[in-house]
Amino acid sequence: MVAKTWTEQVHTSSLKFDDQGAGLKRRREHALEQFMSDGFPSRKHEEWRYTPLSRLAEGPCSPLLEPSEGIPESSDLPIEMMAKVVLLNGEFRQDLSDLSALPPAVRIQSLNQMRRTDPDQLASLLDQFLPQTSHPFHHLSDALLDDGVHIEVVEEGAKIESPIHILHIIDGQAHSGSAHVTGLIQVATGAHLDVIEEIRSTGEVLGNLRWGIGLDPQATLKRVRAFRPECASIFHGTRVVQQQGSRFDDLFSSSGGELIRNELHVIHEGTGCHCELLGAYVGRGKEHLDHHTTIDHKVEDCTSREVYRGVLSDRARGVFSGMIHVHQDAQRTDAKQSNDTILLSDTAEANTRPRLEIYADDVKCTHGATIGELDENAIFYLRSRGVSVDEARKIMVRAFTSEVFVQMEDRQLSDFIVNEIQESIQAVEVDHG
Amino acid sequence: MSGKKENSMLEIKGLCASVEGTTILRGIDLDVKAGEVHAIMGPNGSGKSTLANVLAGREDYSVDAGTVQYNGIDLLELSADERACEGIFLAFQYPVSIPGISNAYFLRTALNAVRRYRDESEVDPVDFLELVRSKMDLVGMDEKLLHRAVNDGFSGGEKKRNEILQMAVLDPKLAILDETDSGLDIDALRIVAEGVNALRKEERSIVVVTHYQRLLDYIVPDHVHVLSDGKIARSGDKSLALELEKEGYSWLQADDAKAGNNA
Ligand SMILES: Nc1ncnc2c1ncn2[C@@H]1O[C@H](COP(=O)(O)OP(=O)(O)OP(=O)(O)O)[C@@H](O)[C@H]1O
Ligand SMILES: [Mg+2]
Repeated sequence: MVAKTWTEQVHTSSLKFDDQGAGLKRRREHALEQFMSDGFPSRKHEEWRYTPLSRLAEGPCSPLLEPSEGIPESSDLPIEMMAKVVLLNGEFRQDLSDLSALPPAVRIQSLNQMRRTDPDQLASLLDQFLPQTSHPFHHLSDALLDDGVHIEVVEEGAKIESPIHILHIIDGQAHSGSAHVTGLIQVATGAHLDVIEEIRSTGEVLGNLRWGIGLDPQATLKRVRAFRPECASIFHGTRVVQQQGSRFDDLFSSSGGELIRNELHVIHEGTGCHCELLGAYVGRGKEHLDHHTTIDHKVEDCTSREVYRGVLSDRARGVFSGMIHVHQDAQRTDAKQSNDTILLSDTAEANTRPRLEIYADDVKCTHGATIGELDENAIFYLRSRGVSVDEARKIMVRAFTSEVFVQMEDRQLSDFIVNEIQESIQAVEVDHG
Repeated sequence: MSGKKENSMLEIKGLCASVEGTTILRGIDLDVKAGEVHAIMGPNGSGKSTLANVLAGREDYSVDAGTVQYNGIDLLELSADERACEGIFLAFQYPVSIPGISNAYFLRTALNAVRRYRDESEVDPVDFLELVRSKMDLVGMDEKLLHRAVNDGFSGGEKKRNEILQMAVLDPKLAILDETDSGLDIDALRIVAEGVNALRKEERSIVVVTHYQRLLDYIVPDHVHVLSDGKIARSGDKSLALELEKEGYSWLQADDAKAGNNA
């Protein structure tokens, strides 16, 4: 049986949704029209040159995943959580989530509910934080918008002590298909929030996850993302708008997906903002790990630091494309970016593309990229202390990746992400070169 | 030294080794018995570190001829990590830094690897900390260094102390100390040497590679060898080191000239 094409499938699915407000209706219609005419981009498209979409575009994941019956095994994190939000095949599952300890300073709502009770407000939030673009996965998520989550710290100055855990479970055991989730996070002036986002998946699925984030003046948000989706295709896009003096920390680790594309767009709209984008990825087999980041320094006195490190074995491929855009008014911008990759086999491949566009004259921007191998001297050092060659190599991979997070003050979160990486390293077949 | 045994701990015969086609060791014979301390001296580039690394199992060097017996087993058959697990320890002339891995993690991983090899259970974290603390006292090392990345940004002296700390924790049978004294200030030299002396025992042999008599005032050797151009040119007791201190190595050339080896 030939899978239905995406356009047929998306068209049928999209028309089934019944939107209450004109704003939501307009977004859906526009996105559907765009996707029908553009579909998925080919490799000729600059932004998609290295991303192998052809397998996905053939359509095995084009049907929407049905609500899953199976109750997934609970994965309790070794960290105390304020709340847990479970999105199963794209559906916000109140029965699996736990919002009982949520303080009044934080509100969490399902987008499906907002679509029914507050469609105009939802449409205006979406227009504000996720304006429509010409991006194929954004078209999909807008054309198929069904559910998702809105998280809002409403009380100014509220420091939310423990993190909110967001767990996506994408269950393609019975049928392959796709799940589309839209999320919104708003943090009020001077408030602080931690979020941990995880993805678990089974079967051949596409997870299309898209976040719009707004940080009010002096607000801080720390987000940890640990992706170990197992043979899924994941598109994960985030757009962050930062107001004056706010800070966004993003800690990202990924491994084990057939195709993971991680896109980040951070916009500094207010002065004195800082963002810290840290990532580590471990690829094996034929995995493809793709990272595209854009930092828009629009106004003066903002800083950004970006460190991405990858380790690739077998035939895995890693892509890093990092754009730093310093606008004309963004004097005294201080932006640092680096991407380092270690290749564990001759057949692994890394493409790295730092891009700077600077239109202001008083700025400090540095970027660097390296591609190398494990330090053989250090491996011998470990071996001379009794550590086997396999373990020594794994330790070196751990050292290289976890170093991205060592400067973090929050030991709990950095230990968590380092452990996540450690888990994925255990599975890496270390080639003896 | 008292308590010498007849059994050899390490017996090297006719060892030749090369790196990338260049021969460096040209027939080394050395017999180290259990409990003995041997000092190896000799000019820069004569092959001391090469010998130490070949014994530790570094694969960059190829062994072209000769045999090495270690406690009755063929050492050259073992991989570097197996040698370590069998009780060989090399204190590096240039200890390697490993950013991203804490010293404590490194030590515990090494100790557990050795213990697993010996069919012992992994060390309990609390016991481990206690053990490390007592050994850090022995080498006069600041506990802060335990939580820093391995040798990363360590001063020269801190790196050398760290080597001896590792030796003390891993409790080897044969320790090879490659210029552990260089880079140490006068007080540190004494502390490290006292640490090494505290680890001296009947069943443990130590080979110290050094340029200076000063270390041998503290760690008194049973035998002193002079390595020159990949061969042992002279062997003697501790007085040989004193003699070298006075006369340097110029006599080596004279010997060479006499033997007509200069070509
Ligand atoms: N990996 C290598 N590649 C090329 N030459 C090497 C290599 N390792 C050692 N050598 C050469 O072998 C010779 C012996 O070096 P080695 O380090 O063993 O000397 P050493 O006696 O320890 O000297 P020092 O007292 O300066 O530490 C030197 O000429 C050195 O340049
Ligand atoms: Mg040397």
